[in-house]
Amino acid sequence: MSLLEVEGLTVGLVGSPYPILREVSFSVEPGEILALVGESGSGKTMAALATMGLLPLGIEMTDGEARLEGQSMVDPEGRVTRTAAQISMIFQHPVGALNPTMRVGHQVGRVIQINQELGRTEALEAAVEMLGHVGIPGPERVARNFPHQLSGGMCQRIMIAMAVACRPRILIADEPTTALDVTVQAQIFDLIKSLASEIGCGVIFITHDLGAVAEMADRVAVMYGGQVMEESPVRELLADPRHPYTRYLLESITHEVDHRVEDIGVDFALRGCRFGHRCLSAHGKCNQFPPLLEISPDRSVSCFLQLEEPI
Amino acid sequence: MTLLEVRDLYKTYGHGAGAVPAVRGVDLELGGGETVGLVGESGCGKTTLGRVLVGLNTPTSGDVIFDGDNVAGRLQEAEFRRRVQMVFQHPQSSLNPKFKVSTTLREPGRLLTSKSSEEVEERIVETLRVVGLGQEYRSRRPKQLSGGQLQRVAIARALMSAPDMIVLDEPTSSLDQSIRSRIISLLKDIQEQRQVSYLFISHDLSTVRKIAHRVAVMYLGRIVEVAETRALFEDPQHPYTRALLSAVPSLDMDNQRKRIILTGETPSPTSLPIGCSFQDRCNLVHDRCRVETPQLGETQAARSVECFAVQ
Amino acid sequence: MNNEETHTAGTSSDSGFVVERVYVPEEKSRTRKALSFMRANPLFSVGVALLLSFVALAVLGPALVGDPLRTNPANMYSPPSADHWFGTDVYGRDVFARAVNAARLDLSIGLAIALVAMVIGSAIGVVSGYFGGRVDEIVMRMTDVLLAFPGFVLALIIVAALAESLLNVVIAVAAAYVPYFIRLTRAQALVEREQEYADAARLVGNKPFRVAFRHVLPNSLRPALVSATLVTGWAVLTVAGLAFLSVGIQPPTAEWGVMVGEGAGDIITGEWWTSLFPGGMIVLAVMAFHFIGDDLMEERL
Repeated sequence: MSLLEVEGLTVGLVGSPYPILREVSFSVEPGEILALVGESGSGKTMAALATMGLLPLGIEMTDGEARLEGQSMVDPEGRVTRTAAQISMIFQHPVGALNPTMRVGHQVGRVIQINQELGRTEALEAAVEMLGHVGIPGPERVARNFPHQLSGGMCQRIMIAMAVACRPRILIADEPTTALDVTVQAQIFDLIKSLASEIGCGVIFITHDLGAVAEMADRVAVMYGGQVMEESPVRELLADPRHPYTRYLLESITHEVDHRVEDIGVDFALRGCRFGHRCLSAHGKCNQFPPLLEISPDRSVSCFLQLEEPI
Repeated sequence: MTLLEVRDLYKTYGHGAGAVPAVRGVDLELGGGETVGLVGESGCGKTTLGRVLVGLNTPTSGDVIFDGDNVAGRLQEAEFRRRVQMVFQHPQSSLNPKFKVSTTLREPGRLLTSKSSEEVEERIVETLRVVGLGQEYRSRRPKQLSGGQLQRVAIARALMSAPDMIVLDEPTSSLDQSIRSRIISLLKDIQEQRQVSYLFISHDLSTVRKIAHRVAVMYLGRIVEVAETRALFEDPQHPYTRALLSAVPSLDMDNQRKRIILTGETPSPTSLPIGCSFQDRCNLVHDRCRVETPQLGETQAARSVECFAVQ
Repeated sequence: MNNEETHTAGTSSDSGFVVERVYVPEEKSRTRKALSFMRANPLFSVGVALLLSFVALAVLGPALVGDPLRTNPANMYSPPSADHWFGTDVYGRDVFARAVNAARLDLSIGLAIALVAMVIGSAIGVVSGYFGGRVDEIVMRMTDVLLAFPGFVLALIIVAALAESLLNVVIAVAAAYVPYFIRLTRAQALVEREQEYADAARLVGNKPFRVAFRHVLPNSLRPALVSATLVTGWAVLTVAGLAFLSVGIQPPTAEWGVMVGEGAGDIITGEWWTSLFPGGMIVLAVMAFHFIGDDLMEERL
């Protein structure tokens, strides 16, 4: 039993037959960093939100389940029961994700206060300590600042402090460094990795940058059009990509691509594989939805080709 | 043949105590048919430099010698508009949302060239073909186009006046990975066919590596290193360049660069230290750096570095 | 989510494989779409229905009813009946005929005022917003002064200063609303001028004024257009209010405000129909504009 198990997650617009996410499944072990990688529109953020129970208005989960340590995180009435001590999340735009009218020390303190039942002063002390722990110099002084007075890198550290203050079992990081400079990105990556190993939590790392995946993650799930195309340890995925989409993606990074091929968007109305209308190897069977099939003990691929011609 | 020579360029916004020196004494050269990559993190002044060279802002001081003519301060005149064009970062907002593609393309044709209406229309047809868009795109509006298609239109617009030089400010940063490669490949083809020079501004080093012949690294308004692309990436010399390159995530899992983690963050351009502006974060700093400002000096053939430790 | 089927080099169609789409959005009939829209936006739909009725009334009505100016003292103050739907007033004139003709006058004046104010206000607003600097300062201070007066009072002052004529009423009330449109478009222009397409417009050879009017202005009009419906309603109200005070439009012209002014005293003596009907029409018309305008404000902005 994994720490976090997501199975068959299907999410769509209320009242619409088009599923935005289709049978998304993945799992995370303690201390493991799983990357959810995909281009825009692949559904990676939506999958994380669904796992957290944070789907926006008008979007609902129609099938599937997310279980933390074997327990479902949604009660029978459909209410979300997870807490910050179980699973927490950091977002892409650090300055915007913090409350602009509260001092940052106070914000971190509130999280600690609510989840650990400490008094206000003690929570604030713990918050300052946490800020120091995430590498902020002069934490007492910084704690009195408002978010707009601080840089993006600082704000991201603060958000991380808020997220790990209660030592969650799972940390979800949604493109945490996309809006930051690359030197700051390196610092944040190191911070997340060290904190994760210190707390022993599992991390879901959402990104569109395969280089970041190579740096950060142990395992990776490649998504396209709301479907998980391939799940594998990172090294093996990069050395031997199995899914046509994964190959296409890697090729476009490493090689010259013919620019005359037109850019086609995702087609959510397809009956079968979501990559079908762009795949060079598609054939009749691909009009059925390909389930995630295990091709080896730790690798799965959502593609009918894998059964016929193991490469 | 040197198309563009920039000498000791300064651009300061505002005046008095709140003045921001965005560009502080930049020297740069760009040859015909050449691509120079201008890289740096946020706040380094690369966007400002690009805007000055294209005539959107006037320099505070310094020389801009274009095709043998000193034109600093005159770059907004019609003759230079025709010869120096720009492609912007966000395709969604760089095209007038109310204009059809044909209208957008017609403007530079009519306003910057002396061609007749029929010739302009012909050129629209031709330019669309060059960027890989069919004629059906003429009547489309930005809302109907994807990011990659929009950027192709933006490139087409820049080509309409048959410029000698195009400044591209983060042209692929908001595009998906696979589309990014296509656009880069398109730009290279165009350069080959038309001998256009590019000033390719970006924070994304991996993309710059694919298209630039030479790369200039900027930090806090100054160029700290210039070298041929391969030389820069294989053997960076300036401490900042080294840290920058080491921070870029790499797909090669076996050869992950040894990270040079920079301490602290970029100082504010309004309160710069005396001497080298990199002194507080540099791992090679010594006393001289705090007193004197290093100048860009040639260390090897076709390579200049601004650092006492290296020179 | 939608894309057209594009055939590009080497796609699946080469191998003879055809993608199947199972989710085909059901094509709702036009009427069903309209009905569900109305159910989702009830006030807006009521507003539109009311407005359309008024427009029909204003366009077709005057040809079908009697002469609004024809007096018939013998028949004065007769209550609403089959012959005179809204009764007759002190001079024996058919109130309904007058009200219908007034609809044409009031609505067209209201529209004209809103359009004039919008065109002038937007032009000034865009110039002020785009160019900034001293021009902006001057324009802003002037609008501050104008906005210090309540719109009605300002219109009153201007009409009193000019000679009494329909044109001057339009000018006066439009002038009262110009500052409002200046502010709206200026605010949007401030946003639009920072957009990359505004820079690009300069780069492709547009001189500054061309950038302002050809590029920034069309993209800055949204708030103004949305407000135009509300302003039309306010304009009708203002014109009627002025006419009630015998300023601007005078009796015997058939205008809602004039009618209410003439009939106000009649209520005491029991002749409620001479002022209630025209008054009611003012209320309904302004309400219609409000329903439409409020909804537009909320949805889009």
